[in-house]
Amino acid sequence: MLKRSDVVKLVRVVDETREIEISCDECFERLDSYAETELSGLDARTAMPLVGDHLEKCADCRSNFEGLLIALRGT
Amino acid sequence: MRERTNEQWLAELRGPNPDGALADLYDLVVRGLGAALGGYGGGVEANFGDFAQEALIKITGNLDSFRGESRFTTWAQKIAINVALTDLKRRRWRDVSLQELFARREAADRGPADAQLTPERLALQSTVLQELRRIIDEGLTDRQREAVVAVLLEGMPISEVARRMGTNQNALYKLLHDARKKLKKRMEDTGFSLQEVLAAFEEG
Repeated sequence: MLKRSDVVKLVRVVDETREIEISCDECFERLDSYAETELSGLDARTAMPLVGDHLEKCADCRSNFEGLLIALRGT
Repeated sequence: MRERTNEQWLAELRGPNPDGALADLYDLVVRGLGAALGGYGGGVEANFGDFAQEALIKITGNLDSFRGESRFTTWAQKIAINVALTDLKRRRWRDVSLQELFARREAADRGPADAQLTPERLALQSTVLQELRRIIDEGLTDRQREAVVAVLLEGMPISEVARRMGTNQNALYKLLHDARKKLKKRMEDTGFSLQEVLAAFEEG
C-alpha cells in the first residue's frame, strides 16, 4: 500500500509530529485571534505556537485561516 | 456599516430588534466571502447568499461561545468562511469514495522503480520501503491506515475523509495524530533517520 513516491512525504510528516498537538476544534476556537495577531503585524506563530503548528499540519484548517485573512483584508 | 463594539453587537443581536445588526452582518459576511472566494470559479458566487444565511444561523445560535478574544466581526467571518469551505469541499469530493481512492492507488502501484538508480540505491530504497510497510502494517489499526493513506498520502480533506469514515474532523485529526506518534516511535526504534530516508529517496 505504501508506494516509493509516498516515502519522503510520509517520513517528513511523521518526523514533524509533536507529542502535544491541538485538535481542529481547538485551532478553530483560536483562529480569529490568531488571524488578528497576524494582521496586526505581530508574529502569530510565536505568540500562539500550537495554533501555528496545527495550521502547518492540517490543510483543512489552513484553508480556513487563509480564507479568513483574505476576507478580513477585503472588508 | 455602522461601527459597533463587541458588546454592542452582542446586545443588539440578543435584543428585541436584531434586524439592523443582522442586515449589517449579512452584508459583511457576503463581502468577506466575495473577497476570499471570488477567484474560486464554478459560479460559486451564486451561493454566497446561502452560505451567509447558514453562517448567520450558526453565529446567532452560538453567541455564548464568543469569548471576546477578537473583534466580533472577525469571529463571525471565521464561521462564514468555514461554512463556505466545508460546502465547497463536499462538492469537489462528492464523487470520490474511499474504496475508489484505495483501488486507484493499488492500480498505480505496479510501476517499476526508476531505471536510472544505481543498484546500491535501489537496494537501499527497497529495504526502507519494506521496513516502512511492516511498521505501518503492524503498528496501525485498519482505521488509522485508511486515514493515513487518504489524508496524508492522497491529500483528501480531513473533513471529507471523516464523513466517509462515520466520524468528524476533530476526532479524525486526533486519530491521525495518534497514528503519526506511533509511526514516529516505531521508526525511531528501528533506527530510521529522516536524513537516511531522504538520502535514499530524494533526487540529486
